[in-house]
Amino acid sequence: MSTPSQPDPRIDLSVVSDQRLLADHEKLLGKQPDDRGRYKLMPLALLFFFSGLIFFGGTYLGRYSGNFHPQIFNETVHPPKAGAVVAAAPVDPIVMGRAVYSQVCASCHQPTGLGLAPVFPPLAGSEWVTGSEDRAIRIVLHGLQGPIQVKGVEYTGVMPAAGPGSGFNLSPERIAAVLTFIRQEWGNSAPPVSAARVSEIRAQDGTRGAWTAAELGP
Amino acid sequence: MKNGPLFFLGLLAAVAISWAGIVLGSHAQLGELPPYFDQAEGQIYPRRPGGIASRGQLVYADLGCAACHTQQVRRPDFGSDKARGWGDRQSVARDYIHQWRPQLGASRVGPDLANVGARLAKTETGAAGLHQLLYQGSSTHPSYSFLYEEEALVGERSAAALNLSGANAPVPGYQIVPTERAQTLVAYLLSLKTTYDFPESVPVAAPTKTEETKK
Amino acid sequence: MINSPTHAGSAEVTPIDPTARGPLLLLVGMALGWLVISGTFALIASIQLHTPQFLADCSWFTFGRTDAMRESTFIYGWAGNAGLAISLWILGRLGGNPLRATNWVTVGTLFWNLGLTAGLVGIATGDMTSFSMLQLPAYVQPLMLFAYATIAISGVLAWGGRRSDGTFAAQWYAVAALFVFPWLFSAAQAVLLWMPVRGTVQAIAAGWFMQGLWTLWLAPLALAGSYYIVPKTSGRVLPSYDFASLGFWTLLFVGAWTGGRHLVGGPVPAWVPTVGVVACSLMIFHYSIVFLNLRVVTASVGNAAQFIRLGLIAYLLVGLLDMITSFRFVAEQMQFTFLASALQQLGLYGAISMIFFGCIYFMMPRIAGVPWASVAMMSAHRMAVIIGILLLVGGLAAAGMMQAGDLLNPSANLGDILARIRLPLLVVTFAHIILIGANLLLFVNFLKTAASRADGDVRVRNLFRQPSAIEASAT
Repeated sequence: MSTPSQPDPRIDLSVVSDQRLLADHEKLLGKQPDDRGRYKLMPLALLFFFSGLIFFGGTYLGRYSGNFHPQIFNETVHPPKAGAVVAAAPVDPIVMGRAVYSQVCASCHQPTGLGLAPVFPPLAGSEWVTGSEDRAIRIVLHGLQGPIQVKGVEYTGVMPAAGPGSGFNLSPERIAAVLTFIRQEWGNSAPPVSAARVSEIRAQDGTRGAWTAAELGP
Repeated sequence: MKNGPLFFLGLLAAVAISWAGIVLGSHAQLGELPPYFDQAEGQIYPRRPGGIASRGQLVYADLGCAACHTQQVRRPDFGSDKARGWGDRQSVARDYIHQWRPQLGASRVGPDLANVGARLAKTETGAAGLHQLLYQGSSTHPSYSFLYEEEALVGERSAAALNLSGANAPVPGYQIVPTERAQTLVAYLLSLKTTYDFPESVPVAAPTKTEETKK
Repeated sequence: MINSPTHAGSAEVTPIDPTARGPLLLLVGMALGWLVISGTFALIASIQLHTPQFLADCSWFTFGRTDAMRESTFIYGWAGNAGLAISLWILGRLGGNPLRATNWVTVGTLFWNLGLTAGLVGIATGDMTSFSMLQLPAYVQPLMLFAYATIAISGVLAWGGRRSDGTFAAQWYAVAALFVFPWLFSAAQAVLLWMPVRGTVQAIAAGWFMQGLWTLWLAPLALAGSYYIVPKTSGRVLPSYDFASLGFWTLLFVGAWTGGRHLVGGPVPAWVPTVGVVACSLMIFHYSIVFLNLRVVTASVGNAAQFIRLGLIAYLLVGLLDMITSFRFVAEQMQFTFLASALQQLGLYGAISMIFFGCIYFMMPRIAGVPWASVAMMSAHRMAVIIGILLLVGGLAAAGMMQAGDLLNPSANLGDILARIRLPLLVVTFAHIILIGANLLLFVNFLKTAASRADGDVRVRNLFRQPSAIEASAT
């Protein structure tokens, strides 16, 4: 038992009872009528402080949230127009063309581009490759059959169609890429082919069977 | 504050609204993130790791490696990650879509491991070096010798046996062989590469006004 | 009548206390026991940081698992049990009725702690979930959820069945912590364990849970205790109390959005950490109101008040540092270093634990019916815990500063960094030794007190002076 003057350090004394605690604080929450209104106003300082925080937060959010775009991981990028950020880097046609050639064409025309006499004509130094681009596009789109003269040698074989709808089903982009590739590989030097031109030619020709060398002309 | 359902509704709203905003919101954006198809190479990225490497991630998680290692590279102008060779670009969400439980980590007592497979592929001793580190430990890395077994040498030496010398070498007639857990863990570490440049990881600059009017 | 002014002691010990004696003592005892166990894991983990080969051959104590065990026992063992005891007790006393469903509380406590023990064995044998602060294996988490709900029922009933119409801030915080945690816990389990979301959305959800644990559970538990004990020991009416509700709702509504702040620079869309940073700044409002309300703690006397004073200072400091460190130009350097651990320990140990210590010191004589067994142990514990926390936070902060500077320098080898911060890490180990000692003292003191309790009412009536005789008038 401890004397009133010497508080027992083993107990923390309460200065206030629970009832008093509740009552005193409840009184504070009681509505105190203003002159006009019925409630006590927040002190101006607190209001300004809160507004300041909201303003700061809003500005920060506007600047650094990347417009809430799911693919913006770098918050310093100024929010771009929709779509601009995820535009893929342009595909290098030579790289794509090389891949298509090795997957689709090399089995016959060989990885060296030298072909296989007397069936598969070479592509290296071939006038059919470096010549008219429309003619080359047509060959790839619909295939070629019957004899063909390449570099003074005659070849007789069948080249299957490789365009959209065929077994290989190459898109115009891939056709343009592979033609661009072969037109600059193995010593060839000819301007690249565009996918738009491939699509134009395809629209012109429609669906048809394989070409013959005579139809295509020089 | 008066009682009543309104108070509890307020409490529930506090949890629900933030959960909906942060978790459901990001789930709506990233929850079904598809892999990226590369036109030029005709492949999807990120490459799905093999089964053994996937099992290795379970080992990584249950040993708590994430307590000291991160697996997230920060962008080049934010910290020294690129300069340290930890990665050339920022890690993006697509890097983790095939992972069962991304081990992003929150502490770099040890190096970042997001590209450790790519780094080790350039060296000659990738797997062997890892096994040696895990078995022996070092002054800065604990040893995980419980992931290895000492086996009697019967006939030929196992191809997977560790090449140890000096104090750590096994008793003659014995070899140290990694358990399946160690093998899967090392396979997992060797599979960690985030080298493919997704379009969102190297953002194309927004077109300027003159470019836009040209279009 | 409970509060007959002529009956001195009974004005302070209500019939609530004897009825809730068993379950509350069980909760507090478990809490203090887990605190010591957590300290042991913390010691092992801190040794492994500067001496990696310590216990490295034992798969149960590899660093990752030891750290997970330390964290789980601290949060679910110490903070969980203690917070539940404190909130139930406060809701009971302010409610004015004896606690109901106390048998449920006992059963829930046993299952909570059994689940935690099973979870620890699970972590040690390799079932940890790898989510920070949610490391308990998936198979014990539903059990923990259920056990928590059975304990929380008692508190919610005490709120619902209270005598007075109005409520006090301590009650809001206490019932908020009791009510919100199951939702927080189950929502996290759902998207992380039962129907895992894909890829980095898991990291976002885990971040939401981790921050939610602090702002929606631990902070309300600590504030419930503070809001109760500060006016009781100071005799003052809390200043600016009319804005206390603003502080309360700010904590709940804004605090829950801070989840993304640790993912700055990470593989998540930029808006996630930005929203977290903004929320951390808005939280300053909550901390300001807490300061305005509880600043009268300087007028409080007594051992419990001292703990609460220090705990509140740490709490406000954590709020300020949280805001500062969330900004990207600071996070760039501080991320992934021991500075983040230092801040976390300041919050968990410096703020929450200190406030809980104060509450336990205040609570025990009232529920046990006897004063604390040993004054020497009380003051030794107090001094040791203060020194321990200062050394712990200081050591981690020093290690973190050196680490931060070196990590930014690409030529600084990580092995060299570890060698350079060896000394602060040794200080941290020393701090953990002190803290284990301190908490052992408290645990032993508690056991002696609990063992010596008589049949309550007769002795305790003589302990407490009549509060109404010394009640200060409102300022």
